[in-house]
Amino acid sequence: MNGIRPIIDIKNVYKFFGQLQALNDVSLSINPGEKVVIIGPSGSGKSTLLRSINRLETIDSGSIVVDGKDINGSGSDINLIRQELGMVFQSFNLFPHKTVMGNLTMAPMKLKKVPELEAKKRALALLDKVGIKDKAEVYPSMLSGGQQQRVAIARALAMNPKIMLFDEPTSALDPEMIGEVLDVMVTLAREGMTMVVVTHEMGFAREVASRVVFMDGGELIESRPAAEFFANPQHPRTRAFLDSML
Amino acid sequence: MNQHFHKKAVKIDIGDGAAIPVRKDAGLFTAWWMTFFGAIAVIVYLCVTQPEPYWRVLKFLPDGVYVTFQVTVLSILLSLVLGLITGLGRLSRNRIINLIASTYVEIIRGIPLLVQLFYIYYALGRLEFFKDLPPMAAAVAAMGICYGAYMGEVFRAGIDSIDKGQSEASRSLGFNRAQTMMYVILPQAWRTILPPVGNEFIALLKDSSLVSVLAVADLMRRGREFASESFLYFEAYTMVALVYLVITLFLSKGVSKMEQRLNYYERD
Repeated sequence: MNGIRPIIDIKNVYKFFGQLQALNDVSLSINPGEKVVIIGPSGSGKSTLLRSINRLETIDSGSIVVDGKDINGSGSDINLIRQELGMVFQSFNLFPHKTVMGNLTMAPMKLKKVPELEAKKRALALLDKVGIKDKAEVYPSMLSGGQQQRVAIARALAMNPKIMLFDEPTSALDPEMIGEVLDVMVTLAREGMTMVVVTHEMGFAREVASRVVFMDGGELIESRPAAEFFANPQHPRTRAFLDSML
Repeated sequence: MNQHFHKKAVKIDIGDGAAIPVRKDAGLFTAWWMTFFGAIAVIVYLCVTQPEPYWRVLKFLPDGVYVTFQVTVLSILLSLVLGLITGLGRLSRNRIINLIASTYVEIIRGIPLLVQLFYIYYALGRLEFFKDLPPMAAAVAAMGICYGAYMGEVFRAGIDSIDKGQSEASRSLGFNRAQTMMYVILPQAWRTILPPVGNEFIALLKDSSLVSVLAVADLMRRGREFASESFLYFEAYTMVALVYLVITLFLSKGVSKMEQRLNYYERD
C-alpha cells in the first residue's frame, strides 16, 4: 500500500447516542478501488460507522477524511463532499413524487447544472445498466422492492460519485429480489468502484469483498482480506458470529 | 417486510370547514350534491315565485360577494405565507426561532378572532402609525395573522409526517437543507397538508363574515344593510345564508378536485 493515499481515512472515531456508545475508537482506512464489507450483529455500530462517512451521523471525536477532505473540517463543504459519496439505503428512499427518470435527473440537474437532455441520456444509460430501462417514466410506487433498490443505486450513480456506500441494501427485500440487487452491486464492483457495504449477505462478501471488517459492540474487531477472514478468523467473537450465520 | 414499511399513514383532522367531498366517499358526495343543488334550487325558487323581495335582495348582494372574495383570497395568501414561516419555525432547531413561532401560535390561538379584529382596527388604530389603516387592510391583517397560526400547525404536522429517509436521501445526494425542503419535503408534504389547509380556507371564508363589524362591505355587511333599511330581516338573512352556503360548497369541491390531482403518484 506504499504511496497510495487512502480515499477514506477514519481515525479514532467515537460516537455516543446518549449513554450508549455506538462507536468506540474505530479506525479504518480504505484505498481507492477497495470493496470493504462491514459485518457484525445488529447494534454493533456498523451502520453508524457507514453513516458517519457522509456525516448523516456526526461523530463526537476522531476524524474522517474523504478524498483528502476532513468531513467535519470547518473549511470543507459537506454538500460537495456528499456529491462524491453515493449512498444506498435499506429502505430505498426514492422520491415518491418524482418518476424514476425524475429521481435520477434531479440531483445532477440542480446541483451540477447538467443540461436536461444530457442528464436524461445518462439516466437512461444507468437504468439500462441496472436492467430497468423500460420503467423510466413510472412512479416508484409502481415498482417492486428489488426494482426500487436498483433505481436507488442508479440515482446515486447519476452523480458520478467516487465512492458508493451501501447500508444493508437487501435487508428490506423479499428473498426472491435480493439476487437482482446483488447482481448490480457485483457489476459495479467489477468496474472498479470503491464500495463500502454493510450487509448480512455472506455470499456477497465472499465473492466481492477485497476486505471484510467485523464490528461488535461499537468496536472494530477485525479487518482483513476476505479470503483470509473467512478461512481463518482470528478473534473469538468473529468466529462466534460467523458460526451463528451458518 | 415489504416496500411499504417506511410509509407512515398520516391523516390530519382539523374540522371547522365544510366537509370536503372525497372521491371514494359516495355518501358524502351525495350530501354535497344535495346541499349544493338544493341551495341553488331554493334560491331560484324564491326569486322566481317571490321576486319581491328575494330577487331584490339577491341583486343587492354581488358587491358584497366580491368583497368577501377579496378579503378571503388576500387573507389566505397572507396566512399561507405566515403559516409556512411558522411551521418551519416550529420545526427549527434554533431555540429562539422556535420559541418565537410557538409563542405566536399560543397567543393567537388564545384570542377569539372577533377580538383580534377589534384589537387591530380599533386598539392599534389609536396609535399614530396605524391611524389611517383602512378597514380592509385591518381585516386582512387580522384574518391572515389569525389563520397563519392555525396553518402553521398544519404545515408543521405535514412536514413532520414525511419520512426521515426522504431528507437523508436528499442530503446524501448533496442537497442542502433548504433545497431538500424545497425539492423533496414540501412537494410531498403539500399532499398531506392540503385537506386540512382546504378546511382552513373554508373556515376562513365563513369567518370573513366577522369583518363586517369593521365597516368592510362584505356579503354579511350588505345583508345587514339591506335588512336594516327594509326591515325584511328574514328574507335578507335567508338569502345571505344561502349565498354563503353555495360559495362554501363550491370551494369545498374545488379543494377536493385539487386533492385528487395531487394524488397522481399514489397507487390505488
